[in-house]
Amino acid sequence: MFEPIHSLALTHYLITGAILFVLGLIGFVTRRNLIIMFLCTEMMFQGVSISLVAFSRYHLNMTGQTFVIFVLTIAAAEAALALGLVVLLFRRKHTLDSEAWSSMSG
Amino acid sequence: MTLQFARFIPWLPIVAAIFCALCCTKKSWRHYASWICLASVVGSFILSLMAGSIITPGKEAQTVTFFEWIHAGRFQANFHYYFDTLTIVMLYVITGIGSLVIWYAGGYMKGDRGYARFFMAVSLFIFSMTTLVMADNLLLLFLGWEGVGLCSYLLIGYYYDKPSAVAAGKKAFIVNRIGDLCFILGIFLTYREFGTIAYEPLFEALADMEHATGSVAAIPFLFMLGAFGKSAQLPLYVWLPDAMEGPTPVSALIHAATMVTAGVYLIARMMPMFVLSPYALPVVATVGGLTALFAATIALCQYDIKRIFAYSTVSQLGYMFLGLGAASSVGAVFHLFTHAFFKALLFLTAGSVMHAMAGQLDLRKMGGLRHKMPVTCWLMFAGCLALAGVPLFSGFYSKDLILGDAMAAGLNGHNPWMTVLAWMGLFTAFLTAFYTFRLWFRVFWGPDQCVMGDDHHDDGGGHHPHEPHEMPWSMNLPLVFLAVGAVIGGMVCHEWMTTMVLSSSAGEALSHGGTAHHASLFGMDVHSAVMVLSIAAALLGIALAAWFHLIRPSAADRVKQSYAGLCDLLENKYFVDELYDAVVVRPLKLIGSVCFVIDRLVIDGMVSLVGFAPRLLGLTVRPTQSGSLQGYGLSMVVGLAIMLLLVTLMWGY
Amino acid sequence: MTVALYIASVLGAIALYLMMPKRGYTPVRLGMLLGAAVMGGLWLYLAKYLPAMTGLPSAAMGYYYLFSFIAVGAAARVITHTKPVYSAWWFVLVVLASSGLFLTLSAEFMAFAMIIIYGGAILVTYVFVIMLASDPGNAASTTGGAEYDRLPREAGVAVTVGFVLLALLLGVFASHSEGDAVYPQNPQAAAVRDIQVVATALPGRAISVLAEKSTGEIPATAGQIRQLENVERVGLDLFENHPLGLELAGVILLLSLIGAVVIAYRRVEGADV
Repeated sequence: MFEPIHSLALTHYLITGAILFVLGLIGFVTRRNLIIMFLCTEMMFQGVSISLVAFSRYHLNMTGQTFVIFVLTIAAAEAALALGLVVLLFRRKHTLDSEAWSSMSG
Repeated sequence: MTLQFARFIPWLPIVAAIFCALCCTKKSWRHYASWICLASVVGSFILSLMAGSIITPGKEAQTVTFFEWIHAGRFQANFHYYFDTLTIVMLYVITGIGSLVIWYAGGYMKGDRGYARFFMAVSLFIFSMTTLVMADNLLLLFLGWEGVGLCSYLLIGYYYDKPSAVAAGKKAFIVNRIGDLCFILGIFLTYREFGTIAYEPLFEALADMEHATGSVAAIPFLFMLGAFGKSAQLPLYVWLPDAMEGPTPVSALIHAATMVTAGVYLIARMMPMFVLSPYALPVVATVGGLTALFAATIALCQYDIKRIFAYSTVSQLGYMFLGLGAASSVGAVFHLFTHAFFKALLFLTAGSVMHAMAGQLDLRKMGGLRHKMPVTCWLMFAGCLALAGVPLFSGFYSKDLILGDAMAAGLNGHNPWMTVLAWMGLFTAFLTAFYTFRLWFRVFWGPDQCVMGDDHHDDGGGHHPHEPHEMPWSMNLPLVFLAVGAVIGGMVCHEWMTTMVLSSSAGEALSHGGTAHHASLFGMDVHSAVMVLSIAAALLGIALAAWFHLIRPSAADRVKQSYAGLCDLLENKYFVDELYDAVVVRPLKLIGSVCFVIDRLVIDGMVSLVGFAPRLLGLTVRPTQSGSLQGYGLSMVVGLAIMLLLVTLMWGY
Repeated sequence: MTVALYIASVLGAIALYLMMPKRGYTPVRLGMLLGAAVMGGLWLYLAKYLPAMTGLPSAAMGYYYLFSFIAVGAAARVITHTKPVYSAWWFVLVVLASSGLFLTLSAEFMAFAMIIIYGGAILVTYVFVIMLASDPGNAASTTGGAEYDRLPREAGVAVTVGFVLLALLLGVFASHSEGDAVYPQNPQAAAVRDIQVVATALPGRAISVLAEKSTGEIPATAGQIRQLENVERVGLDLFENHPLGLELAGVILLLSLIGAVVIAYRRVEGADV
């Protein structure tokens, strides 16, 4: 049951991970809703996690999966803090538009 | 007993200064300041007396080590104190007169807003002045020198809400800078030539020299300029009359008795160096003699009491320099000593008059005050007699010694210029007696009149401000001590002073020069002849003053009318201030405004140009900083894609 | 193969751009169809290259196609949907599909941890915040969310750049997998490594736990041992090789807890909430 996989099978998983990552990236850049922007970062985490687990299987090594646990940890922490900040920002300007916070423009 | 305790002489006042500064912080503590200051200065005086019992004439000079101050390579300037008899004399003057003046000031300044500030500055002054005279090297002397300058500035500008006081403070500071610059250049040169600035090795090196050559000959002239600035000699005397803007005790202590004599002390201390140069001492004598005459003539026509005494101080300091120049350091220091007593007395009595008249200083607006202020009247009389050089009073002995020595030096050395200076000194003695008694007669005699001043700040004791009144004894008692000094100081201290000064570095330098006076004048010994002449001059001056201002005031007016131009010239102090303004101040201001324009147009323009280029660059890049988080994210992704593309193309994946 | 991936990237980019909300008419369905076609074509093309023995059961490979299709399609909807709540639900689907992918890789623990943490904790928080922070004026709107939800910014540039990046990544993958024959490793080696790990980590009970037939010696063949479960492997690796990282993760979670409390507790001046 626990056997190494062929590199082509690995490639399949990597492709899926890469697509998820890039879709998350595009979403982060294009979506103007702060909440969805953070959701898209979570999606990038998903893509990376899939790649990590696939590598773990390919190398018969648990480190990849262990790293996914850390990724989950960071994702949870990020969600808690980022969403708290989003609520705070929303209270201040009554909008979730990321364009509303551009006071750092040169 | 060793001299170790003497190191505390300057440090008691500076501790007092710190405590006085603390007293500034709370209104209810203010009145402690005078007691703290007085206690410390009296303590210093007692320590000075104890030091004087150890350093007696004939003893070697001693150095009291304190701590290493500056030690850089071969250069060494330590906080060590040098004690010889000259130091002791100066310490007596500073701490003794200082104690009496501070005692008086405790009453005089009562009720003033800056009471504690005043005594803080005075304590600091005593510290600086004692450091100045006790210094064992020129740099420490310079520290004290600048310290007294600072305190003088602080105290002249004591009434800082009065524009004239602020201007006078600045003037004193700036004029002194000219002299101080020369002084410190002299110190530099001394170090370059001798490799040391401490007295003892310096005197040893000087003792081996026959004649000053090259740079060494220039050092006395630089020191001399420093001394002229501090001691208000031509041409740097202009600050001293204006310095009378400060409170009267300050005028008495700093601008009459102690600080302005620092220049005399410096030249006396550096006498071994001055005697080496053939031209240094004659120049000192010339400047001193001319200043004495010049200031005395100005004093003739002034109406402000304190200014008359200020010009008188300049004139008397001129005598001291004349004495130094005539190689009579005994006479100079002796005159310094007696002058400290009688001039402090005169200033303080003038302060009493000013106090009683609510700030009025104009001679024309007072008269007949002897009924209202009898004690002050006779105290000032004692001071006037001493200043006029009436026999048996202190000023007579010291002034006579200077004039006699100058005359003898002129006749012995067949130096006609010195003789001329001595005759000028005698004429100045006549003028001195005249202006002194002119003042005294006009203030205390003549018809009763008093126009009160408009000054209510020093309202002591809740008296009625529209009636002149006698000072309380707490203020008159120190004046009595000063008066005793002014009366008998010359008689009693003559011998002592001679031995003291001759056994110091100032005397030793002259002893091998040979000053045996055997010349004669009018068939008499020079000293006796000069004595007779100066007595005559003094009495003539007093008589003339009495005639013009007591017996026949109309005669004075007639004289004044017939010589209106001369009087005008004298009243306006020879227009020296205006001359300096036209020659120095205005050109400087012109240069300043030219520089300002250049600075604005050229320098600032260049700077703006330099700043403009980056701003232009920034303008082109600025739009990229949109402030939008996602814009930055997109640029990051673009960069990442480009990098990956490059890597892929290069390594050919 | 590389060329096929590049073509797929370009077509995928077009599909995604079609799906992106626009000011006028948005051909979402057309984009979805094109995207599905591209995905299907790509998988079919890739499956052609797969060798008989991939190391995975053929059923798992089948599930891979299913789940990855769902995941990619759901992800596309997450970033193109105009209503935030729907985006969140589509994201749940992404999580579920990727959990399925983990299962095909026999990473069971990860699969369920992903569902519990993402689907259970994080997504609920997101939905909650979306509810909390939505514009009350637009809640009843039928045209779909606020203006900032309806219009993406710089969609064309972002899609182009994103898919350039993707194409490059896929190119790299493809060039590395072609003709690569690292397979097979000795399955037994993994088992022996397991035993060594357990023997050092849990002395005293290693063999009896591990070996199906307890002989008291290290088993020689793979058939003789009961392989470790996925959970056991992850746990052992976590505590054996990454204790410091584990502790730091705990600290980070604690800090984020405190930080969230501090941020939420702050009063905003001018705020009426």
